Amino acid sequence: MENQIKESKTSTVRGFPRHTKKIMKGNFAASEAAQLCRVDFVPAYPITPQTTIIESIADKVAKGDMDANYVNMDSEHSVFAAAMGAALGGSRVFTATAGQGLFYSHELLHAIAHFRLPVVACNVGRPSIPWNIWSDQTDSLAQRDTGWVHYYGESSQEVLDTIIQSYILAETLDLPVMVVLDAFYQSHTSENIWIPDADLVDEFLPSKKLKGNEIDPGKPKDFGGLVPPEHYGKFNTEYWDDVLKVEDLSEKIARRFESHFGRKYSNVEAVNINKNTKIVLVTISSITTTARGVIKKYPDVGLLKLRLFKPFPKKAVIEALKDLPEDAIIANVERNFLGDNEGAIMQEMQRALYGTNYKMHDFYAGVGGKDVPPETIEKIIFMARNNPDYVNWV
Amino acid sequence: MEPSFDFLIKDEKVFSGALSCRGCGWSLLVRHLASILGEETVYVLPASCFSIISGPYPLNDLKGTIVHTVFAAAPATATGVRAALDRRGREDVPVVVLAGDGSTFDIGLQSMSGAASRGENILYIVNNNGAYMNTGIQTSTATPYGAVTTTNPGAKGFKKTWPKDLMGIIAAHNLPYAATCSLAHLDDFRAKIEKALSIKGFRLLMIDGPCPPGHKTDPADSIQIARLAVETKLFPLMEIEHFDYKINYRPEKFVPVEECMKMQGRFKNVFKPGNEEVLKDIQAHTDNHWKRLEALAAMSEN
Amino acid sequence: MLEIRGHARGGQGMVTAFEVLAKIFSQLGDYEVQSFPAFGVERTGAPIQAFLRVARKEILNRSNVYHPHFIIVFDESLLDQVPVFDGLKEGGSLLLNTDRPIKAFKGQCDKVYTVPATKISLDLGLGSKSLPIVNAAMIGAVMRILDADVEIAKKVVAQNVPVKPEANVKSTQVAFESVVGLDNSNELLVEALNTTVEVAEEIPEFSLEENGHHDPKYKVPVWDEPMSKNKTGNWRLLTPSYTTKTPPCSHNCPAGTNVREFVKLAGEQQFDAALDVIFEHNPFPSICGRVCPHFCEQNCNRNSLDKGVNIGAIERFLGDKAKDRVVAEVPVTQKEKVAVIGSGPAGLTAALRLQKKGYATTVFEALPKAGGMMRTGIPKFRLPDEVLDREIADIEKTGVKIELNQRKKVADLEADFDAVITAVGSHIGSSMYLNNEEDLVTEGISFLREFKLFGDRKGIQKGEEVAVIGGGNTAIDVSRTLLRLGAHPTIFYRRTSEQMPAIAHEVEEAYQENVQFEFLKAPISIHKTSEGRIELGLINMELGEKDASGRRKPVKMEGSEHVVIVDRVVAAIGQKFDDFVFNGVEVDPRQGKTDLPSRVPVFCAGDMAWGGTVTEAIGSGNKVAEEVDAFFKKEPYTHEEVLPEVVLPDDINFAYYLPSARHDNKVYYPKDFYENFTEVVAPLKAEQITNEASRCLSCGDCFNCYNCFNYCPDAAVHVDDHGRMRIDYDYCKGCGICVTECPCSSMNFSLS
Repeated sequence: MENQIKESKTSTVRGFPRHTKKIMKGNFAASEAAQLCRVDFVPAYPITPQTTIIESIADKVAKGDMDANYVNMDSEHSVFAAAMGAALGGSRVFTATAGQGLFYSHELLHAIAHFRLPVVACNVGRPSIPWNIWSDQTDSLAQRDTGWVHYYGESSQEVLDTIIQSYILAETLDLPVMVVLDAFYQSHTSENIWIPDADLVDEFLPSKKLKGNEIDPGKPKDFGGLVPPEHYGKFNTEYWDDVLKVEDLSEKIARRFESHFGRKYSNVEAVNINKNTKIVLVTISSITTTARGVIKKYPDVGLLKLRLFKPFPKKAVIEALKDLPEDAIIANVERNFLGDNEGAIMQEMQRALYGTNYKMHDFYAGVGGKDVPPETIEKIIFMARNNPDYVNWV
Repeated sequence: MEPSFDFLIKDEKVFSGALSCRGCGWSLLVRHLASILGEETVYVLPASCFSIISGPYPLNDLKGTIVHTVFAAAPATATGVRAALDRRGREDVPVVVLAGDGSTFDIGLQSMSGAASRGENILYIVNNNGAYMNTGIQTSTATPYGAVTTTNPGAKGFKKTWPKDLMGIIAAHNLPYAATCSLAHLDDFRAKIEKALSIKGFRLLMIDGPCPPGHKTDPADSIQIARLAVETKLFPLMEIEHFDYKINYRPEKFVPVEECMKMQGRFKNVFKPGNEEVLKDIQAHTDNHWKRLEALAAMSEN
Repeated sequence: MLEIRGHARGGQGMVTAFEVLAKIFSQLGDYEVQSFPAFGVERTGAPIQAFLRVARKEILNRSNVYHPHFIIVFDESLLDQVPVFDGLKEGGSLLLNTDRPIKAFKGQCDKVYTVPATKISLDLGLGSKSLPIVNAAMIGAVMRILDADVEIAKKVVAQNVPVKPEANVKSTQVAFESVVGLDNSNELLVEALNTTVEVAEEIPEFSLEENGHHDPKYKVPVWDEPMSKNKTGNWRLLTPSYTTKTPPCSHNCPAGTNVREFVKLAGEQQFDAALDVIFEHNPFPSICGRVCPHFCEQNCNRNSLDKGVNIGAIERFLGDKAKDRVVAEVPVTQKEKVAVIGSGPAGLTAALRLQKKGYATTVFEALPKAGGMMRTGIPKFRLPDEVLDREIADIEKTGVKIELNQRKKVADLEADFDAVITAVGSHIGSSMYLNNEEDLVTEGISFLREFKLFGDRKGIQKGEEVAVIGGGNTAIDVSRTLLRLGAHPTIFYRRTSEQMPAIAHEVEEAYQENVQFEFLKAPISIHKTSEGRIELGLINMELGEKDASGRRKPVKMEGSEHVVIVDRVVAAIGQKFDDFVFNGVEVDPRQGKTDLPSRVPVFCAGDMAWGGTVTEAIGSGNKVAEEVDAFFKKEPYTHEEVLPEVVLPDDINFAYYLPSARHDNKVYYPKDFYENFTEVVAPLKAEQITNEASRCLSCGDCFNCYNCFNYCPDAAVHVDDHGRMRIDYDYCKGCGICVTECPCSSMNFSLS
């Protein structure tokens, strides 16, 4: 934290009123967001490359900067079990994990989601055995079907801002939200972060209200016992109804956020996609930024950034590609490996674009933290133009 | 003359109709527990028979709040619940884990140890019926030496390892209060619940849980067998406060372990010819365990 | 395709039965089979279902059976609890496990078959009473109904049951032969089983009903309805219930006294009420409290824990309290008059009972004082005169007349009375049948009588050595009386001390008083010595085989003959009654009405008819009075009694009783017995009585320990609107813990 230099509130380059600009690592942006969201409870367990998130929260709580109950748990499994308990008790809960920790907590991710608990967690992506601690989205993408809402942040600023938005989404629809950032390229990368003033956040995100579904000692209830077959599906039906609302609500919250804080986010972002576009790169997280730079050289290459990933923003994707010619190539850039024919991004894109004639190709780039410099993006563009395979390892 | 009805339970905090087997220990222990804790209590349940007993949708057996959670992490969930309640100014509401031996001795041991070590203000109740009964009687590390289970099966088979000394493990955590309880000693059991409630921090009560289908016993004998478990010293009644041990009940006369074991079909193979030494071993192990407890209790007095 | 649905209780073996049936069909022919349970979380005893499909072609349905041809019910009680007939195809059949007549079930469906599978299984030792395993039997019945080969079924059963293959196979065969309802047509079942015609399965109409969509109550998996909506009473096979059983004390009291009740009241310091309870059966509590052998105490279940309750002391205490009572005269309301011959406990009791029923009753006593054996056979140091006088006087106060010095026989009285009760006791000593006996032996019972009534010492001198022959109370009383006359008595008894019929504490007292005992010695000769003393010939005995009384019979040891020289021999080896009373006619003196020819009916009671103790005589008197009353009222009278369920030590849960010391009576042993006839046994004080009474286990009678409530896992014990403990059978699963944990066995546990 010592290396963060407090700068003038009024930047000459790009300024946001009622913000403080700091040079800050992504993990610290995440913990800053937790503080701004006035979370009540943070169960924690260390794991690289997430550890500094919980360390900094521990530090904030120790210093009294943050009024939260921070608890050192015995595992990520227990972290999420505790998160579940506290959320059932009506607390606003935040935690963070990575890779193995997320895998270990898988059982609880389902439970939290199906208890309809508005927990928000950060995941700093890394893969599984053989050991690897570097940037990779296999861990979070393997949790696609747990019922959590998934956001991928392009920048640390976006991570901070998305966490704030996530609590509104989570607490409106009673769904948990996972905000994913890249290992090292975000988690350990220091950059300019505009930190909104606490009261600005308070105006946007009110303190957590109890809805009556929480534990109320005066009104005994049973939470989550055995549900026989004739009833089980009814809970799923109600869940599904709310899942259908996520895409629109997420966008609505982003609009509100933009008017309140001055930074614009969307579920997806289309860059240079029009009737002349020949290739669209589909990206999530930090690779997006590099791709933004590269496509400036290529007028016929567009970029589709996915920010909301689960539930997949099908309407927004179709809308973003509405002007794209039918013979364009969609190149999905994957930083995950799920043991399937395609990577997660292409699977979802195919699902969303079912019935269209786009040629869709998969490009595995940057798996296991392998760096993705501009030339890798250029290589993908080159391969996409020259009869690519269905799936390509870059 | 109007009868006074001097029941142990003055105010029933469970409903009838629970899905427990005939003669189940779970139902009886929770009945007494709940009557003392009152309705403003949150029970956190990992997977166990009691998850089923306590009521499927849309029913709740307890006049109290039940939170069902995963098998391995009830103490963690309880940690979260405790924190949330404290945050809401409800430090007065007890948070109680109701776990079986599978959850406590095996899959949830780490979570329990974590919560214990953190000194979470939780009352942990373990109904030790010595096997995974909910899934149909599989061996746990609480299963007694000599018991037949579906995973130590056979016409001659039985578990040939000693059960884990949970109370020893608990004692090693240096807790304010841990105790063993028997349903055959209801006054002692109830007094221990009261005592546990009067103390802040992580407290644990282990109850010797009758299980007629799992122990292959007559449901009507549930309490008799629990009583014999105490009399034979197979299940000593004790309290541990930090590192101090106290034996609460010393049987007046020696009752051999067979007296308790022979009433339970799960030990039938031990009584088959050729296993005389096994029975002697179990007696010796029981005696040694008692001796050790006596030594610890004596040390604690000084 | 044949579709079968089974209904049973968890634990009865139905799921196994259906799996075995599937195996049987696959061996019976080229059948496709499918058997599975409705998978649930129900516990032992809860209603469950299983399904079986058998077809000659591929089975194209993997869902539950909703429209069976055939319903099999393993437990009759399910008919009332579960909608077993739901979806049964038209013309479908029911197989029911029951031993009730088939007509009871007609009308519930077209075709009913029954088989007594529970009875068959229990007869063959399969399962327990609370949970008979009927699966193999039910399989046999199914085979019969479907006209299938039972031999194959038996083979498959033998291979598939975990235990007792022979018994299971037998049950299959017996059930095969025991099916009722074979006049039904099984055409539908057999047709469904064997059809190979390829037709689409009949699919019932489906419903367009919405599946709970948009029901906000399903938003979050949280709920709060009370578990009591689930009734578990239908899991129950054995039913506990509250009851009152007979305690061994009351059961063993010959007078019929409700011992448990008066002990309980004494424990509550309700001494008056306790005394009333005794008086219902026994007018002589002060006497019995002193002299009764207390069969109640001997059979007290507390003997299995420490020592029986000192009921005698309680009875004596209560009896002695009666001395302050005012006894009212009972008016005569009946025209019949009754004569009683003999003023012993039987005669006086009978007279009192009849007087209280309104009959004018007169007792005729041959001796100058009333009381019979209580007067003549029991020494003062055991029973002071004033106690005896008072209890007899209380009887007289009710209006009973006692005519003393009136030695009557039936013939003397038949003219003036409407019934005669003979209760003359057994006052004639038995003979040892030895030479010189008449001259040299003093008879014990007459010695006691004459000493007590007239002070006749039979010339006994201080310092005399006296041999007393016998082991009963008379021998003991004679010896202790002799001791007080300055003699040195030695008891010779042919058996051992354990086998003495005398009351144990009397023997102990005699021993403490320095009466000498010689066991396993029998007299064989008596001679006068030249010095004028008596040479008593004895032979040693040993115990042989058991005799009719269950005691080992003493057998003479040949060659062990020897003699002792004494100053006197007293024989106390038994008594018999004086048949003078029956006008010289030989009558078998049995309890109740005799067949003695007479103008009026003649009844018999007391020692002569029944047993030799005061209490037995009282019981006899109670009974005979009832019989006389019934005779006058021309009502039937029978001795036959239903044997009550008596609480035995095995029925008591001793875990709930702490050992506690018995309050024994102090016994007074003076330094010098000579001429000292003071009562030797001291009474207990009121506080001791209360404490002693509280040692009562209350066998068979609930004493509100509430174990049933405290231990009920199902919270199914309640207090009803009338303030009574009740079991809520809507929820009771019948585990039986309340029955086991009932300390005093005041609960029953039986098949509903």
